[in-house]
Amino acid sequence: MLSAILNLFGRSPFAPLQSHMSQVTKCVELLKTLFIALEKKDYEAVQTISDAMSELEHEADLMKNDIRNHLPKSLFLPVDRGNLLEVLGLQDKIAGLAEDTAVLCTLKQIVMLESFKNDFHEFLDKNVETFKSATLIIKEMHELLESSFGGAEALKVRGMVDEVSYKKHESDIIQRKLLKNLFKAENEMSYSTFHLWQKIFESLGDISNFSEKLASRVRLMLDVK
Amino acid sequence: MSVETILFILVLLAGFYTAWNIGANDVANAMGTSVGSGALTLRQAVMLAAIFEFTGALFFGSHVSDTIQSGLINSSVFTGNPLILVYGMLAALTGTGIWLQIASYFGWPVSTTHSIVGGIIGFGAIVGGVDAVYWDNISFVFASWIVSPILGGLVAYFIFSILRKQIFYTSEPVQNAKKYTPVLVFIFMIIMVVMIMFHGLDHVSIQFTFFQTLAIGTGVACLSSLLSYLWVRGIEVPKSSKDAQNLYNPEVIVALEKAKKHLILAQNSSNGSHRYQLTLLNDEIDHLSSAYKQHEDPELTSREYAIVERIFGRLQIITACCMAFAHGANDVANAIGPLSAAISVLQTGFISSSATIPVWQLALGGVGVVAGLATWGWRVIETIGRKITELTPTRGFAAEFGAATTVVLASRLGLPISTTHTLVGAVVGVGLARGIEALDLRTTRDIVISWIVTIPIGAAITIAIFYILLAIFG
Repeated sequence: MLSAILNLFGRSPFAPLQSHMSQVTKCVELLKTLFIALEKKDYEAVQTISDAMSELEHEADLMKNDIRNHLPKSLFLPVDRGNLLEVLGLQDKIAGLAEDTAVLCTLKQIVMLESFKNDFHEFLDKNVETFKSATLIIKEMHELLESSFGGAEALKVRGMVDEVSYKKHESDIIQRKLLKNLFKAENEMSYSTFHLWQKIFESLGDISNFSEKLASRVRLMLDVK
Repeated sequence: MSVETILFILVLLAGFYTAWNIGANDVANAMGTSVGSGALTLRQAVMLAAIFEFTGALFFGSHVSDTIQSGLINSSVFTGNPLILVYGMLAALTGTGIWLQIASYFGWPVSTTHSIVGGIIGFGAIVGGVDAVYWDNISFVFASWIVSPILGGLVAYFIFSILRKQIFYTSEPVQNAKKYTPVLVFIFMIIMVVMIMFHGLDHVSIQFTFFQTLAIGTGVACLSSLLSYLWVRGIEVPKSSKDAQNLYNPEVIVALEKAKKHLILAQNSSNGSHRYQLTLLNDEIDHLSSAYKQHEDPELTSREYAIVERIFGRLQIITACCMAFAHGANDVANAIGPLSAAISVLQTGFISSSATIPVWQLALGGVGVVAGLATWGWRVIETIGRKITELTPTRGFAAEFGAATTVVLASRLGLPISTTHTLVGAVVGVGLARGIEALDLRTTRDIVISWIVTIPIGAAITIAIFYILLAIFG
């Protein structure tokens, strides 16, 4: 009766979830190089990097679908299935946001003005930092599984979730400062460029917003008060 | 060669073949998870399995064998023509062998126990008449088939919940694992020894009273507990690596704790908006101190958990050996019960309703199981071990604790149950306690289907073979 015991264990979605997050990280990490190229007005490099990010985002999409295809209703998980799928969806959304930001940069040959250059890099760095904190939470998944999502390990992850929230708050503050600078420079650019920069700030800011949502979702999986 | 001699040889062959089948397919359930978690090498697993299966069959197997031999059907209805019983038992053995071959070819989870019981009931009901079957005993047996996975699951759930709360949830898992090892060993061994020795071991002429059994059980449990304590004492508790410790001053954490204590005092003795502000301050201090604690070595937790798993890997060896013992006791009856009934008729020419099973027959069963294990079973153990990596030692220990105690209890009560189904129930119990990453519950549906299907099919095949044998020899 070999098959009874073997069939009891289904394909775990947790390791694939972590692989998916690595894929999303590869995509988000390219943003810094993209904006350095944009600053140097190397528009060809901007296009190349944007294409690379689209590829990476597409692969992440395929991984996401694969995970979803292998989660039958009969599979019993130690966490709520809805929370797990939501975390997966949020991870994928972040990759999409990074890709959107890159594509926006290729629509027109925009110039990064001196007046908001420094604030912009601060903003970009803070958003990537928030995302990286969220990836650390997903990396803890193995320890969380071992300790059944409770106890001291869960408290540690809860602290990490608070940290992501705090970084997102910091990112929001920088975003306001950045927007004020953009408005000050409104006469130095056409309306369409102005609008494009606004959209870029928005999708970049969403990276930290969705990282915080992701962290909160993981918080819901924990067995702590 | 007389008909009796031919039948004798056939019965021996059929019994040996059934025992071989048990060794080849079922033993893997007892030892497979220990090999998968790395607690035992394949070689160690096979040797331990051989020893414990044989011992279990020899010293504990008679209760269940008695049930199968004479507790299911009233063989005295065949007093007029005793050879009918022989044909029936031979048919049950052969039928089970054939049914198992078919089922394993299609990958269906079929139990030897259920097939044999179904075969004997079928033969008894059809040939001996409905009154030849001890329906009240049968209903106990049926009930035990449903209760055993559930009981295994409950015990496994309970044990894993203890592990979860007292070891994994704490901030010092390795120290708590070291603390709880002797306790768990004590509880397990005392349950095992008392249940096994309760009315004395078979073929051992010394009988113990209940209190003597309890005393021996306590003694053995204390000894094993002490041995396990000595073993874990030497295991080092991992500390934060030096670099992490240098960055953050642990005195800060102590100072923050003191500040928090004073603030709580202040909070409790104030009201209104002051109290609210003090609550906010308290929250900030909590946040600060946890931020400090986090900067301890981030790899520490995973190292600690790895050591906990190593500790339970050794403990899993104990539970695996007991599983093999219990399995030998419960399953050898599937081969030897019918064999014994048939041979007693062939040797004496009479139906005897309550003969004790001779040692040589139980030994034959044991040898058959070991033979099956040595020639084919080791391959199955290796396959299970390779494919089941999800059952880490802590989970495996909890599951085997539940399964072993349930199977030993059933063997003590003389109830033939399926060890595989019990183990599945135990693993589901661990899964429900949030111990397993992904549990496919379709297997439980397959098990329920096999309960319903195996009895009629086992009965039908047995009856068919019976009439064939009757035609050949009758």
